[in-house]
This record gives sequence, structure tokens and C-alpha cells, in this order.
Amino acid sequence: MTALKKSSLTEPELVLALQSKDPAVLKTLYSMYSSALYGVISRIITHTELAEDVLQETFVKIWQSAAHYDNTKGRLFTWMMNIARNLSIDKLRSKDFKNSLKNQDIENNVSFVDEQNKVTFNPDVLGVKQLVENLKPDLQAVLNLVYYKGYTHVEAAEKLDLPLGTVKTRIRLAIIELRRSFN
Amino acid sequence: MSVENLKAYIESGVLELYVLGDLSPEETLQVEEMASQNPEVRDEIAAIELAMENYAMQNAIEPSADVETKLFEKLGLQNEDEVETIGSTPQYQEQSRIVRLDNSDGKIRTLRFALVACIALLVVSGIALLITYNKLNAAHDQIASLNLDKQKFAGIVSQLEYENKGLDNMVTMADSKEWATIRMSGQAFSPNSKMNVYWNKKDKSVLINYVAMDLPKTDAQHEYQLWALVNGKPVSLGVFGKTDSATHEALQKMQTIQEAQAFAVTIEPMGGSVNPTMEKLSVMGGV
Repeated sequence: MTALKKSSLTEPELVLALQSKDPAVLKTLYSMYSSALYGVISRIITHTELAEDVLQETFVKIWQSAAHYDNTKGRLFTWMMNIARNLSIDKLRSKDFKNSLKNQDIENNVSFVDEQNKVTFNPDVLGVKQLVENLKPDLQAVLNLVYYKGYTHVEAAEKLDLPLGTVKTRIRLAIIELRRSFN
Repeated sequence: MSVENLKAYIESGVLELYVLGDLSPEETLQVEEMASQNPEVRDEIAAIELAMENYAMQNAIEPSADVETKLFEKLGLQNEDEVETIGSTPQYQEQSRIVRLDNSDGKIRTLRFALVACIALLVVSGIALLITYNKLNAAHDQIASLNLDKQKFAGIVSQLEYENKGLDNMVTMADSKEWATIRMSGQAFSPNSKMNVYWNKKDKSVLINYVAMDLPKTDAQHEYQLWALVNGKPVSLGVFGKTDSATHEALQKMQTIQEAQAFAVTIEPMGGSVNPTMEKLSVMGGV
């Protein structure tokens, strides 16, 4: 479904419309990419309400800083995804998020914990998750931290107690694995 | 940079970190510099980006619908209105044109309904006007025929009044002892004619009553003349006009005559004659 929506408009056209602040393009952009970006966000922030807040903030930022996007430096989606990732990581580290964790009622705790460990039944996701799980465990661990948990490679290196170079290589190998699977 | 070095650079994983936005500003600038100089680096970045994008697309999760609503509210954009401004891109236009057609379709449909309603109203008005026009014509005809009727009736009424007056006078004169009624009957010239003359015994005045006469019409050049026969000699008592004229008084006063043995009426040229034309003696009666 998302792939179909995406194909309805080429990237340079989208960028042009976005940078001319055409309100219609935001709608298009949203219908094309909101679920992909929400997928990225909700892997970093499992709390639905907060994740949706971040999704909204992401599109606000996309709208407001469209002029800063330079298409010679990368794809539009990469730029949007990094906005989403950065806002998610910011949220994860904010007082807001920590408060929301503290404010969980005893009654809600069980469901909150469930939420934290929620298994996604998105059929699109299942295959990829499978794929990531089929990666060698060391590649999988790095990709999980960097992609799902919003860690920087430096933090991942600390967390996994690995040299930076190794982390970088493993990220690369994992992504090459992904590339292979998509081709 | 040599091919080996380039390969090592690509394999270092820095490009993946670049795509993940996980580099410092200086490192980012270095990668962009490399990419602008080496197509291999540029292609590698593009491939990584595409892989990450595909990965994200395949891991998409549909957010709840009210996120979009809130987003457009927050940005102060009309969620429905964006079709007003259309980008220059054909595919995109195609997509939004569907929405726009829906919108204008509604407007066109409304206008079409309005047009149909207008035409219907026009037709109904036209029919109503035609009906009214026909009725008006009929009314005009009716008024004209009523006017004719009215004139006819007015004529009849005045005729009746005239005859009534004459009859009244006749009754009065018949009742009175002063008046003598001389009945004149038709002569050879006009056998069916008859007429009465009223002669006052006291003042000798003579009256004729148009109602109490039955004489044929004269032509335009002739009229009736009343004669009294006094000792065998005719004496003119004056002329009188058409018997059916409603413009006259019913009674007409003629000349007085002191004595007479008989009265007679002849047809004479207009203005009367000195001597009666005996061939045209219409009625005569003795006292």
C-alpha cells in the first residue's frame, strides 16, 4: 500500500512542491510517508501516544524546515527519516518522556510493560523482522541498537563493549544484507 | 583517491553512519565532499539510502487518523483545501485532480440542479403566462359581447319606456272625457294601416300617439301628413315622421282644429303639401 502511494509522485517533484510551501504537498507527503516514519518512530518510542506526538512534530519540522533540505546531499526520505529519528531520540531523553514513565499507575503497569515488549503483527514488518533475526547475532545486535533503539554508533559501541570500527563494519554488513534482500 | 583507498573508505561503514545521521558535522561535510568527487561514493550512498528507505517502508505502521487532523490543525492548514494549489508535477496533479474534480463535481452538480430548476420554472411561468393570456382574451371577448348585449338591452329598455309612456298617455286620454279618440282605418293604398287621433273637445287641440299607430315606413323623401276634413275640404294639421323612431316623444302635438268631420293621413313629399295626394291616402276615419 505504502509502495503504491509512494510511486504516485517522484521525489524531485515532491521537493519542489514542499519548498514552495504548497499545503497540498504536505497532505501527499503525509499519505506517502507517515506510516513509514511512524514505523521508525514507534520502534524507538513504544508508547503510542508519545510516538504519535513525535510523528506530528516530525511533520511540523519537515514543513517548517523544508528550505534546509538539499537534494544533492541525499534522498528526501533519508532527510525525513533522520528528522523523525532525531526527534524520537530527543523525546526518549526528554524530561517529558521520563515523567511519563514515572507517572504510570500501578494498574496500568502490566499493560505498559506489555506495550514496551509489544510484538508487532504488521505483516509487512514480519518478513523484515525475520530477516533481521536471520542476520548473524552480532549484526543483529548492532542494527537493533542503532535502528530500533535510536543509539548512536558510539553509544552502541559502549553498550556492546566493541571498538567503534567494529560497530561501523557491522552496521555496514547488516545494511548490505538488507540491500541484498530488497534487490 | 586511489581505487583501493576508495574501496576502503566505502567499506569503513562511514557512509552508513552518514545515512543514519550519526556523524559529526565535520565528518558529514567530509562525506559530502567525497560524494561530490567520487561517483562510486555517491552511488553507494544512494544504495544505502534506498535500502534504509525500503526497510522503513516495509516496517511501516499506520498511525491513528487523528494525528493527521491534529497536524493540519497545528499548522493552521485546511486539510481539505490543499487542492486549491497544485504543484507543477504531472503525477501529483493527477492525484490531486481526483480530489478537485470531486469538489467541482459537487459545484457543477449544484449548478446543474439550479439550471434544471430555472428551466422548469421558466416553462411553468411560460405556461402560466399563456393560460393567463388566453383567459384575458376570453374575458375581452366576453366584455365585448356583454357590451353588445347591454346596448341591445338599453335599446330595448328605451323602446319599452317609450311605448310605455305612449300607452300611459293613451290610457289617460281614454279615461278623460275631454278627449275624443278618432280611429282611422286603412284605405285602398294601405289596407293594413291604422292610426288613432286624439282631439280635445275643450281646447280643440290635436294629438297623435306614435304608439297607437301602425303605418308602414315612408322612404327618405316622404313623410306622413295629417288632414282634417272640414265641410268636405281638407285642412293640413301638420306632418309627422317615421312611426318607429324612438327619438320622438310618444305624443306629438298637431295643429288645432275648431271643427272637423273626419281625419285622414296621406303620404306627401318632405315638408308636406298644400293639397293632399289622394292616391296615397293611408288611413281615414270619421269623428
